[in-house]
Amino acid sequence: MSGKYASDPTWASVEPIPLNDGSETGTLPLATIAYSDEYLEATSYLRAVMAANEMSDRALKLTDDVIAMNPAHYTVWHYRVKNLFALKKDLTEEFEWLNKMSLKYLKNYQIWHHRQVLMSSRENFPTLPPNELDFLMKMFKQDAKNYHVWTYRHWLVRHFRLWDEPREIQDVDLLLSQDVRNNSAWNHRFMLRFGPRSDEPDGGMPNSTAPPPEKGRLAVVDEDLVDAELEYAKAKVIKAPENRSPWGFARGVLRASGRPLSEWKDFAKKFVQDKVEDGKVVDVEVKSSHAVEWLADTYGEEGELATAEAVRMFTLLKEKYDPIRKNYWDYRIRMIAPATWSQEIPTSA
Amino acid sequence: MSETQVHPAVPALFKELPIIQDALTTETTNLQEETVNKCLPFLKGIHSSQKGPFNQFGVPALNRDDHIAYLYDSLEDYPGSFVALDASRPWMVYWALAGLALLGEDISQFRERVITSFRPMQNPTGGFGGGHGQLSHCAPTYAAVLSLAMVGGEEAFQLIDRKAMWRWLGRLKQPDGGFRVSEGGEEDVRGAYCAMVLLSLLDLPLTLPPDAEARKHGFETFTSGLSDYLSRCQTFEGGISGNPGSEAHGAYAFCALACLCILGEPEATISSFWVGGCWPLIQSAINGTQPATAPKQTSTGNLYSREGLTRYILACCQGKHGGLRDKPGKHPDSYHTCYTLTGLSTTQYHHYHTDASASSRGDFSSAFSWKSLPVTSSDNQGSDLSVFDEKDRLAALHPLYVIPHQAAENMRIWIDVEYFRGGGQFTQETFSDHLPSR
Repeated sequence: MSGKYASDPTWASVEPIPLNDGSETGTLPLATIAYSDEYLEATSYLRAVMAANEMSDRALKLTDDVIAMNPAHYTVWHYRVKNLFALKKDLTEEFEWLNKMSLKYLKNYQIWHHRQVLMSSRENFPTLPPNELDFLMKMFKQDAKNYHVWTYRHWLVRHFRLWDEPREIQDVDLLLSQDVRNNSAWNHRFMLRFGPRSDEPDGGMPNSTAPPPEKGRLAVVDEDLVDAELEYAKAKVIKAPENRSPWGFARGVLRASGRPLSEWKDFAKKFVQDKVEDGKVVDVEVKSSHAVEWLADTYGEEGELATAEAVRMFTLLKEKYDPIRKNYWDYRIRMIAPATWSQEIPTSA
Repeated sequence: MSETQVHPAVPALFKELPIIQDALTTETTNLQEETVNKCLPFLKGIHSSQKGPFNQFGVPALNRDDHIAYLYDSLEDYPGSFVALDASRPWMVYWALAGLALLGEDISQFRERVITSFRPMQNPTGGFGGGHGQLSHCAPTYAAVLSLAMVGGEEAFQLIDRKAMWRWLGRLKQPDGGFRVSEGGEEDVRGAYCAMVLLSLLDLPLTLPPDAEARKHGFETFTSGLSDYLSRCQTFEGGISGNPGSEAHGAYAFCALACLCILGEPEATISSFWVGGCWPLIQSAINGTQPATAPKQTSTGNLYSREGLTRYILACCQGKHGGLRDKPGKHPDSYHTCYTLTGLSTTQYHHYHTDASASSRGDFSSAFSWKSLPVTSSDNQGSDLSVFDEKDRLAALHPLYVIPHQAAENMRIWIDVEYFRGGGQFTQETFSDHLPSR
């Protein structure tokens, strides 16, 4: 080979390991790629320095080169981190480079794991660097629900114990003011307020390892915080009642605090209004299918007397307001009222 | 848009927007509306690119020959501009083989080429990388082992260094019960799912290797702390996230549920979820274990809309020149071809787990007790309709391993037989000199 590495004296001491894709056996390997000569050469040198576990500036430069050609090459990222730490490199520079890469390759797993590994170095980052959250908000401008970025942000919160830092909830508020349907921002909000903390690893998480009824409940409930979060969710529901997120958030808040769904019964009824004539329900005006589900579950919890009402709500969902999940609503009806089901009563209200 | 009439058999549910639309529009609703508007003409069967024919339900036929040609082609050479796939070649092989198996092709013809492709990707320290000289990673290892299982045969099975695999998996086990995807890589439920697939399919000892870090945290076995880890991945919404504390995501839900099913405790932890591949697992958990000799057709029935999924896949996902895609406006690729066909297959069979396992020994016998029965349009009752033609029926895949049932059983049985034979390099004895004494 006569590429840039073969002709570079810096690399003279390295014997490259050429690609073995199996084709030397005479059998044609599958899903092969007609790599460029540049890529073939660089990865041959990469195999060689990795096999020797070399930690050097030239190795680091080589990883730049390979990443530029193929950022999805997870092995080269792993090797790059090892070099950066072994050579005690200035990570500020690394972050500047990484930020540019992140904005260019939005769906890349490796970039975000790389960032997390670097940031987890207490030696380099005893506290949260000041620009980190600004950069994440820049990422959210491109894609406000980017799963990799949110996963990284959760990790940051745990690593630097940021649950109660005002900036966290401010950013969530800002994102929800831009799009009240940002389910990822709602998830982050729940995690900040009620999620596990280092001193209570499973707090607030449903189906954590505690036996029922403690399962999924906080050990200590701050009732004022719970009230405030429920009010927050209500205000967001009013903006767009058919938005699933604040309803789900409220369910989570109530469960974490050990309070019943019935607390929101009157609120949910505002979105499901019966039209009554001569004491009979003749029609129902529904502004939110999630409110119907809420009422169905609330009636379900009230016991036998309310079963008919629960079935009526499930029936509204299956016939009119969420018919794609008809089978699921039928299942819910069977669970709550097996007798009703077996009689096959007409389901229209 | 063509002047074609909408087929009368397409129900209003698939032609119209949901009845409630909030007045407030945001980025989410804009994107959603854009997608719905792209899908509606396809669901109605009036998009100019849809050639038909349409069946009695107004659903386009599966362009079987085009998809087969697309997948065969996907196994051949790619131009240099596809270099981003360099670490995903094992996936390309797996997706194509699984897709071809679904379409009824004989994939054992690829045995030699599969063995040739994967041999240089296996590392002596255990596991497979995405290519020669690449770090072992659970994703390419999963794809490699499943591909080898699909093409079958002694030479394919023997390629896998099970002892090294066992030691490598031991190094991925984490103090919280989960698994990393590679040494130094991220920890998430993909790692846990891949590890359980590999341990059970290859019948590796459940005991952790003596040098596994996780032993220092009091763990003895690969499954120690795993159920707790998975339950910590459940979120307040009832879904499952990639890590404890992250947001629920359908793909991770499949990984976690399949993992629990391999562990043999599907009934233990499941509540409510929303994504396709999970449905057979959830339905089966609700129905409980069925006698192998006389399964009930269905007691719960389907919880999701089989009709909706079938219509969506056949109407919206088929590319004009073969291959399947995420949604209209996107290009087909092997990944979506494999998994949309898997989804279509799921709508065509009733999956259940039984009290009879293909593997008589080992800790994972329940993973080998899954059976499937074809669902036909003659079973149509109520609204849970089969809307595909018999000629569009695909093969069934194992709901946990996502390869044909027979392929999973053959691999496991071969290993069981090796064990009983007591000789050769693939026996329990070879592992046992590495097991710590009790």
